[in-house]
Amino acid sequence: MSLLSVESLDVSYGNVQAVWDVSFRVEAGEILTLVGANGAGKTTLLKTVAGLLAPRRGRILFDGRDLVDRPAHTRTSDGLVLVPEARQLWPGMTVLENLEMGAWGKRARAESARTLAEVFAMFPVLEERHAQKAGTLSGGEQQMCAIGRGLMARPRLLLLDEPALGLSPRLVREVFASLSAIRKAGVTVLLVEQNVAHALALADHACVLETGRVTLAGRAQDLAGDPRVREEFLGVSGV
Amino acid sequence: MTSKRALEAAGMLAVAGALYFAPSFLERGTLNDLWSVALAVVLASSWNLLGGFAGQVSIGYSAFLGIGAYTTVLLALQGTPPVLTLPLGALLAAGFSVIIGYPTFRLRGPYFTIATIGVGEAVRVVASSLSFAGGASGLRMPAGSYDFESNFRSMTLLAVALVWIALAISRSAFGSALSAVRQDIDAAEALGVNSTRLKVTVHALSAALVGLAGGLFAINFQYVSPGSVFDFRLSLTIVLMPIVGGVGTVAGPVLGAILFGWLQLKLLSIPALLSSSLFIYGALLIAVMLFEPKGLLGLVRRLWARRLRRFYIDA
Repeated sequence: MSLLSVESLDVSYGNVQAVWDVSFRVEAGEILTLVGANGAGKTTLLKTVAGLLAPRRGRILFDGRDLVDRPAHTRTSDGLVLVPEARQLWPGMTVLENLEMGAWGKRARAESARTLAEVFAMFPVLEERHAQKAGTLSGGEQQMCAIGRGLMARPRLLLLDEPALGLSPRLVREVFASLSAIRKAGVTVLLVEQNVAHALALADHACVLETGRVTLAGRAQDLAGDPRVREEFLGVSGV
Repeated sequence: MTSKRALEAAGMLAVAGALYFAPSFLERGTLNDLWSVALAVVLASSWNLLGGFAGQVSIGYSAFLGIGAYTTVLLALQGTPPVLTLPLGALLAAGFSVIIGYPTFRLRGPYFTIATIGVGEAVRVVASSLSFAGGASGLRMPAGSYDFESNFRSMTLLAVALVWIALAISRSAFGSALSAVRQDIDAAEALGVNSTRLKVTVHALSAALVGLAGGLFAINFQYVSPGSVFDFRLSLTIVLMPIVGGVGTVAGPVLGAILFGWLQLKLLSIPALLSSSLFIYGALLIAVMLFEPKGLLGLVRRLWARRLRRFYIDA
């Protein structure tokens, strides 16, 4: 059984439908990436999985259980945790307070000391800056703080919304390296990304989203070699 | 850190002690003024728990004051000792806050605020039309139900207690969660915070405290009417005090309440200015928004920082 299984999902904002009949599965232990251009519906899809938006139709099965009627905050205790777009840290709180708030759920709170040590080991810069207000961190540090905050909730499936957005190439590599470390630690990752080359290099499986529909799906490696993907997203033509 | 907390505790105990013994060495008029300021502190600090800490701006708080006040009058007229009516008034105000909280907290930002205006006005209209509550002319407390000194002590000690409650909440995990809801509600939800339950809880706590103040209000003035406790201007003043003082902080609402309490007393003594009080408050609000959104507390901190800088750098 897949860890997450999204079936025939339709999502609308009022009368404007943003996601059309989308289905995909995420297997335990893998990294699956949803790639696509701006406005393809990636963030909408992720927010729906996290429970911040309600779908018009379709099912979201997590560990075999339908989540559609469960509010966002209870999905966290199920082990499904969102690292939102543009980090969405609590800017007035310190780094440490942000991380501690991440472990709000009962289960996560019981293990928060151990998780915090793990997060600091993964992102040493967060330990250095633990007393600094999150709003004063650099973009890359904020992203690490957002990922760290997500990890504090002890996720089984981590949903990441464009973690590379606005980061320098060196920081993008650093953030992606941390994702692969997170997967090694046993956390399944669902990654939404515009940086298609990086995402396909990291992920096991991928879906291409275009104007709200899945147009291609398969092994990330195969998609990276697909002529349509190469032309559309990787800027390579005439293969 | 520990010594700072010890100092705070000692300071609050000293203030509480001074207020407790104040009736034996201060004039009645001064005590009345202090009572008014204490009421303002209670209202502003209670509102700040929801409006400041959790960022949910409600302009319907007179409803809770009124519920507390009417509970006390109605029960006292049945022969209940007024002191015993206070907990029930607080409980009813909290209960009402929960009932209106669930539907209105579905709304966000300005939509929530507008809904609370509607709730406050609806309560006023209903209270004016209930014949058993005296309708628009209100109700008078039974004779002999008033003890000035104990009422003075109750209100001023409640004000000190509120500062302590706000301080405790601001340092607790509960306070962090409220702050998370204020700063980014989606992120809070996505990390497992049940934002609705959190908002309803803090709303109920602050409504209960305002309800308590409402009971003391009824005892103090011996008379309650929709115009005195359910007034829209009162709801507005409750919002303005913490904003002018420094919203979302512990000391800010206290500063704002002291300023407003003082202004109110000064303005009340000049009939020509009484009718223009809202105009003056509006001007004050605009000035704060334009020049110091962190309120008086922000201004004090800025001036203090400048002084320190001058002391260390220019000297």
